[in-house]
Amino acid sequence: MLKFTPEQARDYIRRGGTESLQVSGKLDLSNEKLDEVPHGLQCYELDLSGTSITTLPNDILVECRLILDNCIHLTSLPEGLSVGSISLRNCNSLSALPENLETWFLDLTDCQRFCNWPKAATIHRGHLVLRNCINLQALPPWLNNLANLDVSGCVMLSELPDNFSISSWIDVGGSNIKGLPENLQKASIHWRGVPVDQRIAFQPWDLSASEALKESNAELRRVIIERMGYLRFSQEAKAKIIDEDTDPGGKRQLLRINLEEDEPLVGLSCFCPSTQRQYFLRVPPAMKSCHQAAAWMAGYDDPNLYKPVIET
Amino acid sequence: MKRCELVYMDAKSSKFWNLELNGSRHSLAYGRIGTDGQKKEKDFDSEEKAEAAFHKLVKEKMAKGYVEAAGSGVESCGHVSNDTNLPLISFSSINHKDEVYDNVKTFVGKRVLDYDPEKASRDTSKLIYRFRSDWDEDVCEEHLKHFIDSDASLEATGIIIGAWHGDDPENSPESVIKLLIDNKERLPKLAAIYLGDITSEENEMSWIYQTDVSPLFEGFPQLQLLRTRGGQDLALSKPDHPNLRALALESGGLPVEVIRSICTSNFPNLEYLEIWLGTDEYGGNSSVQDLQPILAGKLFPKLKYLGLRNCDYVDDIAGVIVNSPIIDRIETLDLSLGTLTDAGAKALLSLPQNGTLKKLNIHHHYVSGSLVKELNQLDIAVDTSNPSEMEDDDEWRFVAVGE
Repeated sequence: MLKFTPEQARDYIRRGGTESLQVSGKLDLSNEKLDEVPHGLQCYELDLSGTSITTLPNDILVECRLILDNCIHLTSLPEGLSVGSISLRNCNSLSALPENLETWFLDLTDCQRFCNWPKAATIHRGHLVLRNCINLQALPPWLNNLANLDVSGCVMLSELPDNFSISSWIDVGGSNIKGLPENLQKASIHWRGVPVDQRIAFQPWDLSASEALKESNAELRRVIIERMGYLRFSQEAKAKIIDEDTDPGGKRQLLRINLEEDEPLVGLSCFCPSTQRQYFLRVPPAMKSCHQAAAWMAGYDDPNLYKPVIET
Repeated sequence: MKRCELVYMDAKSSKFWNLELNGSRHSLAYGRIGTDGQKKEKDFDSEEKAEAAFHKLVKEKMAKGYVEAAGSGVESCGHVSNDTNLPLISFSSINHKDEVYDNVKTFVGKRVLDYDPEKASRDTSKLIYRFRSDWDEDVCEEHLKHFIDSDASLEATGIIIGAWHGDDPENSPESVIKLLIDNKERLPKLAAIYLGDITSEENEMSWIYQTDVSPLFEGFPQLQLLRTRGGQDLALSKPDHPNLRALALESGGLPVEVIRSICTSNFPNLEYLEIWLGTDEYGGNSSVQDLQPILAGKLFPKLKYLGLRNCDYVDDIAGVIVNSPIIDRIETLDLSLGTLTDAGAKALLSLPQNGTLKKLNIHHHYVSGSLVKELNQLDIAVDTSNPSEMEDDDEWRFVAVGE
């Protein structure tokens, strides 16, 4: 086994060396032209972000941190992989985690194909981040104590296991979760990073425009409005009409609601004939007319260039 | 009769506090360690009331940082015992935020004196000398040489290096370290070093330039405590010492490389680990993931005190540490001087109360009154002093020591 400093190890691997290495400290191979790493690699930290690796050798040993962000060709990890923390952000080809994985911190943000948990594994004590794992339908039954769980943007996820605990917070923003099981009642709830209460997260029908307007925290106010829906909010908030015209759906209005310590909420309220629904679509606050707002939504900065043959 | 003997040490003082309960009477003795102190008595209406007050007072003192004298290595009314092992409580220094602004008056339980070569060296077993330069008088090393050449150095158990940098705040203490190591035979009893007793007036904590301090480990195999201040360029390239009992690294921002060194160290006898993580504005680039090997609890089998202080991600630490094996092994968890909010405090409510953990310190925090109350009801001593005044939705929160 060759014992190297991180710098020596990087040079060795760049030159195509394939023998087993023991590296002290952090081996940074991020964005190197690399599609595999040597067998028997041992190091304290390993950063392989942005490389072309498809998997890792079975006998790799990383002690504290393994960073594999943006490894878009990564399809599998070795069985029994055990590292303090593993980051797999934006690993778009990864659909499954290996059996007997063991870690404290796991970040799968934007792993859009990820959907398969191993039958047995240990993810505990730290953070499990599943943000925007849009294909994920369930959490595994073997989850243990966690500090944070982030399932924001997990649009297919509607249920949480009822046998694990969270010491700090759970982020459910934009997921399909409708309530927390008994075991998680003590966890704080976040909505895409903003601390919220049970009502805002799970009973949006209870929220009112006056409550939103009274809220002095701009971040929280945004979440309340988002949870109410712009349409209901604009109706309840007695929005001021800036402009009015007609389109194929009938009457169209540009509405404005002033918000304290935040830019005004301006949106186009219109009826869509094809879906048979009323919409309120937020636009930049400087918009002056319905036509200008519609043009902006279609991608035109100059409303004069926006001349649709038919609006549907 | 019930009797409780407590002692306390920080950068300003070393104190004792002895309370005796006889029926409905309290007899209290308190004062500076090494003196007889003062005595007071108080009678209560009933034995029950006296007993309840006794327990309440003891709990309050413990929350403030007092520890039981028995087994602490401090003789309550007498001196720090002359046992070669320094008492665990003497390793702590900056217990509260305001102590950062002055030079220390005591170190490892002994009085501190600025070295003056004009005056004859006094009994160095009872006091500790500090060596430092002023901006207009670069005498730190000169005085240190003078001390080393005197026989007083042969008895020195501790040394404090104050502002070493003179008129250039970017000077590192490399040559001071070399001077100490070159003269290690003249310092055979040196057990404690404080490298950087520097006030903000002399040099802001985040501006201090440190260096690789690990040569001190090799040079002084009998060293028990190394305390440093300043994070820039601080390194522990060879973190190896079979006898080191305490490591304290104060900073406004600790480089993650230093944490990596601690996590790959060989300090089998470490009982006290205090690290100031700071903020990213001042070079603190770590996160709770980097602390995982410490939290996993396998690194330091004798650890009793863990301080993760002056930290702007302390809420994250709180959430993870309550689930971590280390919490079942240590006696004191110190999360003070950081930006702890309700999010972290809520997690701390699930700290184990029937295990080894005896004390939690969150001095300087942003926790709401109702949660402070809940924390104080835990069956461990909790220091919740110095809450920071702040509007509910103000987003700016600061660690105690930045610049």
